[in-house]
Amino acid sequence: MSDTFTLAEATLKAIQDRRSIREYSPEPVSDEDLDLILEAARQAPSGENAQPWRFIVVKDEATRKKLGDISGGGSGRRFTAEFMTKKMQQRFATLEDEAKKKAAYEKLTSGAVSMFAATAPVNIIVIGRKDVWDLPFDTSAAIENILLMVTALGLGACWVIAPCIDVRDEIRLRKLLNIPDEYKAVSLISIGHPTRPHRPRPRLALKDIVFDESFGNPYYKE
Amino acid sequence: MSDKAISHDYLNGLVFELEKAFWDERGRGCRFRMMEVGRGIYENDCKDRIPGPEIPAIVQVVKAVLLEKGIVGDVSYAQEDLTLRISVQGCLHLPVEERMLAKGIEPFTCVPANLIIMGIEDKLNRQVELAEIKCENGVCQLLLVVFDRPASVV
Repeated sequence: MSDTFTLAEATLKAIQDRRSIREYSPEPVSDEDLDLILEAARQAPSGENAQPWRFIVVKDEATRKKLGDISGGGSGRRFTAEFMTKKMQQRFATLEDEAKKKAAYEKLTSGAVSMFAATAPVNIIVIGRKDVWDLPFDTSAAIENILLMVTALGLGACWVIAPCIDVRDEIRLRKLLNIPDEYKAVSLISIGHPTRPHRPRPRLALKDIVFDESFGNPYYKE
Repeated sequence: MSDKAISHDYLNGLVFELEKAFWDERGRGCRFRMMEVGRGIYENDCKDRIPGPEIPAIVQVVKAVLLEKGIVGDVSYAQEDLTLRISVQGCLHLPVEERMLAKGIEPFTCVPANLIIMGIEDKLNRQVELAEIKCENGVCQLLLVVFDRPASVV
C-alpha cells in the first residue's frame, strides 16, 4: 500500500530525500521524466520574470566523456592546491582512519570525485543570459527545481560546479558546447538512476542559523 | 583628454576597490574567476617572444616583459618536480595585496603568476593551478602546480 502525503508533506519529503548522487546504473532517463525535470526548471522564479536560463541536454557518450574530463581537471587542480597548502589536511583532521583519509585525498586530488558526468546517462548544462540583474540567483532556483523533481521521480542527480567555476574550464565548456558569449555557463547537473541509497549529510540546527529581527538574536531558543 | 600621468596610488586604489567588491560578491570562489586577468599582456607581449615549450624560457620572457613595463623589480623561480615556486619582488600592485591583507583577505590574483600559467598552458599544453600567494616584506611568493592533464581538452 503506498503512503499518502499532503502536498506539504510530499514537498518536504522530496526536499529531505534529495541526495547528491554520483553513481548511476546504465538505465537511461526516460524522455517523459526528462520532460518533467525540464518543466520543473522552467517554472522557477526569476527577477523581473527574466527567465534567463537555458538548458543544454547532453547524452552523447563522447561529449559526456569530455564533460567528465573538464570537471575532473578543474576539481583535481583545486583539490591538489588544497592538499599542497595543507588546507585539505585541516579539513580531514578529525578523520582517524588513515586508509579512508588517504582514499579521500586520492579521490579529490585526482579529480575523480567530479568525473561522473561521463557515466551519467544525461547531463543538463545550465546556462544563463548575462544581460539580466539576477543571473546566479535565477539559475540556482531553476537548478534546485531540477534536483527536487529528480528526487520525486526516484532518480538521482548531482549539482556540479566543477566544469564552470574556474573561468578557464568555463572557456573549455563553452567551446565544447558552442555556448555564445552572451550566456554564462552556471553548472552541470548529472542525472541517472542511483545504484544504491545514500545517507543524508549533516545539517546545522535551525537554532544556529535563524535570527530574530536582526543578526545574532536566536529565533529558536534552546 | 588630459595628458597628465596617472598615479599608481590612484590606479591601485581602484584595483583594490574592484577586488574587494569581487571578494564581497564571491568570497573564496572569486580566485577561480581571475585566471584570465593579464590575457591581453600575454597575447600581445609575451606569446610570440617565448622561444619554445620550456618553463625556464616562459618565466624569462614573462620576467623580461614585466621588467620592461616597470611592473616588477625582479622575478625568480625554483622548480621541483611539478611545483614551481616563484618570487616576485617589487610588484607595482603589492599595495593592493597589502590593503587586502589588512582587511583579512588573502591575495587571490596575481598577474605575473597568470602570465606564466598562460605560457605553460599555451606552450606546454599542461594545466596549471595557482595554489598559493603569500606577500611578505615586499616579496610575493607564488606556488604553482603543473599537471599532466592537457590544457586543450576540447
